[in-house]
Amino acid sequence: MERLHLEHVLQSVSALESIILRSFGPEGGQVLFTRDTGRVMLSRSGERILTALHLEHPLARMVVECVWKHSTITGDGSKTFVLLLASLLRMIRATAAKEPHMSRLHNSTAAAAEAATARHLADRLLEFALTELDGLIALNVLPHGSRVSLDDITAKTPPEPSFQTLLLSFFHTRLGNVHCEFFRDLMCELLSRWMGKTGQPSSSFRFIDNNFPALHTQVSGLPAVSSRLIEGHVIHRDFATPWPQQNRRPVKAVVFSGYLQPRLLAAGDVLELGGEESVTEDASVVRFSSWTERSLESVIATLQSFGVSVLLCALKQSSAALALAAQAGMGLVECVSDEEMSLFAQLSGVTPVPDSWAVHPEHIATLTFCKPLILGAHRYVHLDFQDAEERLKVKPCSLVICGPGEEQTDQYARAFQAAIRMLLTAWEPVDKTEISTLDVKETFISNKCTSLPTDAISGESACTSCSMHPHQKCVIEPGCVIPAGGTFEFLLHHALHQYDRSCSVSVSISAFVPVSHILANALLSVPRQIYSHNRKRFLQAQTRVMALAPQQSHILGARLRQTDGPPEDGKQSARSCRKDSAALTLLDLGLESVSCKYHLVLAVVQCLTSLLRVNKVLRTHTVLHTTSHKLLSARLESPEDVDKDESP
Amino acid sequence: MQASVPTATRIKMNSSQTTSRLVKKSPSVCTDLPLSSLDVRDKLRLMKELLGSCYGPTARLKQVHNNIGGSVVTTSTSSVLLQAITSSRPVIGLIKSSVLNHVSRFGDCGLFAAVLCLSLVEEAARRGVGNSAAIRANDRLLALCTGYLQREDCGCRVELDFCSSRSLIALARTVVSSKPTCVLAEPESAHIGRLAVRAFLLTVPCDAPDPVRLGRTVTVPVEGRPVLESAVFPGLLLDAPEHLCGLAGVRGPVRAVLFSASLAGDLGELGDGRIEVHAGVDTDAQILDRLLELGRQALEDGVKLFVCQKVIHPVLQHYLRCGGLIVIERVGVSLMEPLIQLTGAQPVATLHAAIPSAAYGEVHDVSIRHFGSKTMLHLHPAGETAVCSMVLCHRNETMLNELKLVCQKAEHVLRLTLREPWALLGGGCTETLLAAYVRHKSKNDAPEATSALGCSQTEYLLAAEAFCRSLESVAACLEHDGGASVIDLTHAHHWTLPPDVTEQHLEGGTAATLCGCGALESCRKKKWSYLNSECADFSPAPLSTASPLRQPAVLDSFSAKVNALRVAVETANLVLDVRYVIQDVN
Repeated sequence: MERLHLEHVLQSVSALESIILRSFGPEGGQVLFTRDTGRVMLSRSGERILTALHLEHPLARMVVECVWKHSTITGDGSKTFVLLLASLLRMIRATAAKEPHMSRLHNSTAAAAEAATARHLADRLLEFALTELDGLIALNVLPHGSRVSLDDITAKTPPEPSFQTLLLSFFHTRLGNVHCEFFRDLMCELLSRWMGKTGQPSSSFRFIDNNFPALHTQVSGLPAVSSRLIEGHVIHRDFATPWPQQNRRPVKAVVFSGYLQPRLLAAGDVLELGGEESVTEDASVVRFSSWTERSLESVIATLQSFGVSVLLCALKQSSAALALAAQAGMGLVECVSDEEMSLFAQLSGVTPVPDSWAVHPEHIATLTFCKPLILGAHRYVHLDFQDAEERLKVKPCSLVICGPGEEQTDQYARAFQAAIRMLLTAWEPVDKTEISTLDVKETFISNKCTSLPTDAISGESACTSCSMHPHQKCVIEPGCVIPAGGTFEFLLHHALHQYDRSCSVSVSISAFVPVSHILANALLSVPRQIYSHNRKRFLQAQTRVMALAPQQSHILGARLRQTDGPPEDGKQSARSCRKDSAALTLLDLGLESVSCKYHLVLAVVQCLTSLLRVNKVLRTHTVLHTTSHKLLSARLESPEDVDKDESP
Repeated sequence: MQASVPTATRIKMNSSQTTSRLVKKSPSVCTDLPLSSLDVRDKLRLMKELLGSCYGPTARLKQVHNNIGGSVVTTSTSSVLLQAITSSRPVIGLIKSSVLNHVSRFGDCGLFAAVLCLSLVEEAARRGVGNSAAIRANDRLLALCTGYLQREDCGCRVELDFCSSRSLIALARTVVSSKPTCVLAEPESAHIGRLAVRAFLLTVPCDAPDPVRLGRTVTVPVEGRPVLESAVFPGLLLDAPEHLCGLAGVRGPVRAVLFSASLAGDLGELGDGRIEVHAGVDTDAQILDRLLELGRQALEDGVKLFVCQKVIHPVLQHYLRCGGLIVIERVGVSLMEPLIQLTGAQPVATLHAAIPSAAYGEVHDVSIRHFGSKTMLHLHPAGETAVCSMVLCHRNETMLNELKLVCQKAEHVLRLTLREPWALLGGGCTETLLAAYVRHKSKNDAPEATSALGCSQTEYLLAAEAFCRSLESVAACLEHDGGASVIDLTHAHHWTLPPDVTEQHLEGGTAATLCGCGALESCRKKKWSYLNSECADFSPAPLSTASPLRQPAVLDSFSAKVNALRVAVETANLVLDVRYVIQDVN
């Protein structure tokens, strides 16, 4: 058994941080891995780096799991996650060490007291983040952000701040500064094809995210600039039959999910040959196999009568099926993956035929063409759908990602998918009902601190903020962005300090260390790392951002304005602060999504709390050859660690 | 850069994944800033020397053998060599995989890409250019190069003339002669080059509909015969079965049938269930009866050539031979496609129905050919089918294997010309010319570039110099006999001087007679400079101004070289960008 001290937690997180730092910020580079299999992997993505490590320490593994969960949802911010976590832990340790009075309350060691304080701080930090953070961001950060529209995705020189800049800065963090512009343009084109004329952008993003494996092809051995979009859909299999060179158009295709040649015997069936009662001549095994062949022939004949010339099958077909299809002049594709089948079904609007006898006209998809396509070392099937533009309001296209080696191709593909996830988070639709509840909450944003004269309904404030917990959604409007390079952190830092001051005016508990203070200082570590190669620029950036930060009175003004027209608030304030944000773009570090940032801070605080709740690690010894392989670590909460030290 | 992180640390990392033997895994080895480590730089230099000495027609060969007594491979080909090399340094693995991928796509210029990539990394590290500045500068310089190569007035690009085979043969010969493992004499490599072009031309269909599909060349290796006996035939060569001694009976158009299913008498696909056979039922005989029924039909339909991809039951084989048919079994899946193309037959896999008449194909004629100890059945195509066979002869197995590889590469390179009908000057001339162009251009656009890249002018010029030196060092790698590499200061072509030549010979214009690619003859007026020495930058003059203009004799594939250039620069950029290495050493 191993007692966990704050020191240990900090050590493991710092070890992770030191790896992450190599690829953080504008001067960061790649991390290269070799697996035990000899495969090489290359990444700048924090999530990939962390998950590729074989970590022994259970705490470190817990952190990695939190990072992984966060970045699979938002696709971004994994490096900042670790950085912020380490910085928060350091702040908490420093604060806990400064409060010796805690130990006097209990008869425990200094270390235990420190742990208890730390844990307490973390819990309060989480509570604070859950209740107050979104409001603070809405008030102090959003006015400096602006909303980018998705209307001008393919425009060459769109007005700043644009969607393109957002993507550019994202690819910059993932791929370095060489190919980011090229991939941004490719991504914009991809999005513009898949975004319907109508409908939510988020639903298109979700569609691409879900179908990404089927929507892209990786080709290694070519330079990255050979990456391109191709019309239609690529099935990552080759024709199993010699491809019939025919020019009949449109091409009719059917999708099969089973075998073309019926399987007479299912697993477990027994065929008896030559029993007493059976007639000798009919008992021949030849009769059975000839029956399956005849039924295969009739299936092919039916398909021919419909004019079908392409068969897509999920399973490997018998050689007889291949030969008959070839004789009938049909192209047959075997072993099509489930993802591609489902995408094909969505785009063509037909369902796969489960039973080869029951082919009906509604199973037949119409394609404008279907031909082999050579990409790199492989030959694939390339097809396009007829009327897809009218039916689905999109232009189906497939992405070909090229790179000199498999590692790079894989890295590019992952960057694409992560970008889609980032956009998905940024354009998360705001539920109308949520807006209204949030507005109520915003009015009471700092009731607990009682700094505002609106005390009339302060009794309700506690329950309102409690009720907020289950649906902790953003007040942040879809597509809201802020200049990158630490602007968000600077602004939030400033806002938290303001908030701090307003609290300390009324709440006179000297022992009460403001958690917002901890968060505020921890946030600054992020821009500090961004400018780690150049301290002067850190100060320059901070002054520039701070010059724009509003004073206390401004906050009140902003709040009043919000209550006037709540749902419009993002846009209004954005418009009113356009000049400011224009000044901010002078920093020239691109853009990032406010929503992603907000989710990030929340996730870090949650991870922190769960980390500090662990007090012991039990190393159990697994007996060899047992079936249950339990985790080496168990999260335990011992009774003495339960909050008894709630402040008065 | 944090000083607190040690250069090579072992951090506590392990896996608790319970393997079957429950061996505790050893921790990963981490290297911080690998390119500043001396060991990594030594390994990169070693790798460059190793690969550089394999480059070009006079290259030194390498023997690869493993520690457990496997066969010894002698080669200088990048694809074979790189696959054999294992390195403890992942950075080298990264370069290796990029180059191998390039070679598998383009079949040529693998060593060029590898040597260029390694020297780009080395030069950038040596000159102390900041990594991110070097990366951005390399990218810009690459764009400069590829832009120049696409230009109409590009000095190192030659338009291929498909009306005469001269430039195609020059292209194929360059590929063949750059692989010294084949041990070919001058007339032999010329012969192989001509054969490669002939085979390529035979696989291009004349009246093909859109899209054009190129045919196949099937290679037949024959050991122990002189190289000059190698030949190309239209149609297919198959290993002849033993019974075919007298082929007198078969003449004129031959009807053929192809089976893709096994005719060995096994059960068809009934499913996963069990079959219980009671006593007195002979399923084998029932199936064989059915097979013989098929055979009888083939016989009655006048089939003379009976081919099966898989195994044919011996009884059926005997029956068919008695009927005077040529029976060929176990053809394999790779030969099925050319067979289908050649005969026009459709493969049959149904055993219980009659063979449809549409499935039969036709061969114009069948004859027997002898190559050394081999007896081959030659199927002549009925029409123009774009299928041909290439018989390659060589004295021993190692050379033959390399020759096979070389012919595949030549075919690949020739096919690439259909898409981009150009070639680049070989013999190092393209490299020196590009270097001269980039050096000249980068000096002129330095102010503009530095503002675009966000680095200082010195950094950009240093990076540009590193880039040009790397290109020139690839050209210099062509010389292995102690000679010197020089460029002329008008056309920037590459010339090689024998070791005993002095400055006076050079000034007199008598030292080297022809430049690397063979397009220029030396003359008295030329000014010279040694490679990798300081000289004033100049803009290379186009070839048309050269007085004794000749046909370039050494040509490189345009597509392959441009891609190799791109891949090399991209990979070098990637290597320069690596900041941390984590190695799982289990």
